[in-house]
Amino acid sequence: MTSGARPSRPVLGRRALNRRGREGWAGWLLVAPYVLGMLIFVIGPLVAVLGVSLTQWSLLDAPRWVGLGNYARLAADPAFGRSAAVTGVFTLGILAINISVALALASLLNVRLRGIGLFRTLIFSPVVMPVVAWALVWKFLLQPEGPVNSGLAGLGFGGANLLFDPATALWAVILIEVLKAVGLNTVIFLSALQGVPPELHEAARLDGASPWQAFWRITLPLISPTFFLVFIVTLIGALKLFTPVYVLTGGGPADATTTLILYMFKQGFQFFEFGYASAVATVLFVAVLGLTLAQWALRQRLVFYED
Amino acid sequence: MKTEGVGTGRWAAPEAAPVRRPVRWSGLLYLVLALVSLPFLLPLLWLFVSAFKSTSAIFGSPFDLKVSALTLTNFAQVFADYPFARQYFNSLYIAALVVPLTAAMAATAGYAFARLRFPGRDLIFILSLLAMMVPSELTAVPQFVLFSRLGLTNSHLPVIVLQIFSATGAFAVFLMRQHFITLPRELEDAGRVDGLGTLGVFWFILLPLSRPALATAAIFAVLNSWNDYFNPLIYLSREGLLTLPLALQRFTDPLGGVYWNLTLAAGVLVALPVLLAFMLAQRQFIESLAASGTKG
Repeated sequence: MTSGARPSRPVLGRRALNRRGREGWAGWLLVAPYVLGMLIFVIGPLVAVLGVSLTQWSLLDAPRWVGLGNYARLAADPAFGRSAAVTGVFTLGILAINISVALALASLLNVRLRGIGLFRTLIFSPVVMPVVAWALVWKFLLQPEGPVNSGLAGLGFGGANLLFDPATALWAVILIEVLKAVGLNTVIFLSALQGVPPELHEAARLDGASPWQAFWRITLPLISPTFFLVFIVTLIGALKLFTPVYVLTGGGPADATTTLILYMFKQGFQFFEFGYASAVATVLFVAVLGLTLAQWALRQRLVFYED
Repeated sequence: MKTEGVGTGRWAAPEAAPVRRPVRWSGLLYLVLALVSLPFLLPLLWLFVSAFKSTSAIFGSPFDLKVSALTLTNFAQVFADYPFARQYFNSLYIAALVVPLTAAMAATAGYAFARLRFPGRDLIFILSLLAMMVPSELTAVPQFVLFSRLGLTNSHLPVIVLQIFSATGAFAVFLMRQHFITLPRELEDAGRVDGLGTLGVFWFILLPLSRPALATAAIFAVLNSWNDYFNPLIYLSREGLLTLPLALQRFTDPLGGVYWNLTLAAGVLVALPVLLAFMLAQRQFIESLAASGTKG
């Protein structure tokens, strides 16, 4: 990419200078609304979060400088530690289940069969479903006396209460989220699978490889760029997931589903501890930023394969 | 940064030529596919069926589809006893503002990033990639301070503004930039020879060629706006101001017990426009959304 006007450049023709000047002016004019908006509403607040995280502030009084006090408090706060652990299980659970189910579904859907498009549409449709509506249907299905729990009772698992039992709530939320989102990764994997030349599998079959071996030795390496991208995008997505968790459980029962983003929301907008909430936000931001930079670095290395 | 290559254009292609295989294998495949699709299909079916049932029938058998068991009273009650029509209008008009504004911002900024040289361009572009990655929830505290100091809580303005300048907005700019980069420069040169200036080239030549990319950006903006939950949760508390995702949780008795028949009927009304749009423009939806995974 060429960067803007270079002052050291030797004499330009008058027309060219004019043109370049006009282009620079038009360029700034066209990006101005976007840049101003982003500065005021995203980049500015992002910097401000760091500042607020160094204060104690309830919005009613003036912010009081506490230095790294909020971070020291985080380190000693058992609720924060639990929330970090919940977030770990939540993100890794979503990651593992979403990706393996998406790969399996994509392999299953990658057949030439009349009407296969219908099944692809069915599996994708929860992706476009409004997230609150999806969460509420499941909350209904998982009512204590609702269809799922009574169904389980009929199968001999009496007293099951998946969404309101601290032992199972997190996994119930994970599964509901995977069902909602897995269609997207499935479609992405499917298009990667369709880019694998069939001759390779034919050759492997002739050489006596089992389908399982062919998948691990041929398919997976060939779709690895897609795999890594999906991996990181899904991971970051899970880390910042708020709405379905909040609608399904509100973080309960007994904080069993309070991920860090819910913890931040509660500290900030329920307890009005804006400084402390900002410290939680900063920790999350550092995690997201690290993962994003890792994604970019990986992408630079994998770019070669993407063609 | 390279972003082409992970194409999603072929997702529906192989349907065209079914392969001959023994009939029983096809049968087995259909059986497996049907079983696998059930967890995705059943919740939607359950939603749509239950919306037409009374409270007592909802917890009965889902297969009870006798006409006598079905009723429209839930829908009538949703509109009669709650400000749901007002809330529906709120969501509609907010989307109707956010989508064209996002598209306009994405088209102009995307064009400038792709084609015009101006000082600071690359730095700004990298910053905007960063903005695309920042979950908007993390900046909620300072944004809330800003808007509440301006006296704008319980107003739609913060919700609208934060939808436009969200990760989705930044992603739309990025998509449009990637699109404009692919258009041949000869088009612009031809326009300039015909006497058009920078803005003329953009408006009369490039923009008409950008409908598919704009449609992708619009799909993102629509879904983002229709689903937005976090910011309305923070800024809106008056019933008449709520948008649909929040409104869906307000069909409760004073103790917080949920009227499921009303909630599910309202859920159908919220999901229906999106699902219909998806059915009508399936390919466009799937390819657009898949692009977010592979091109982000």
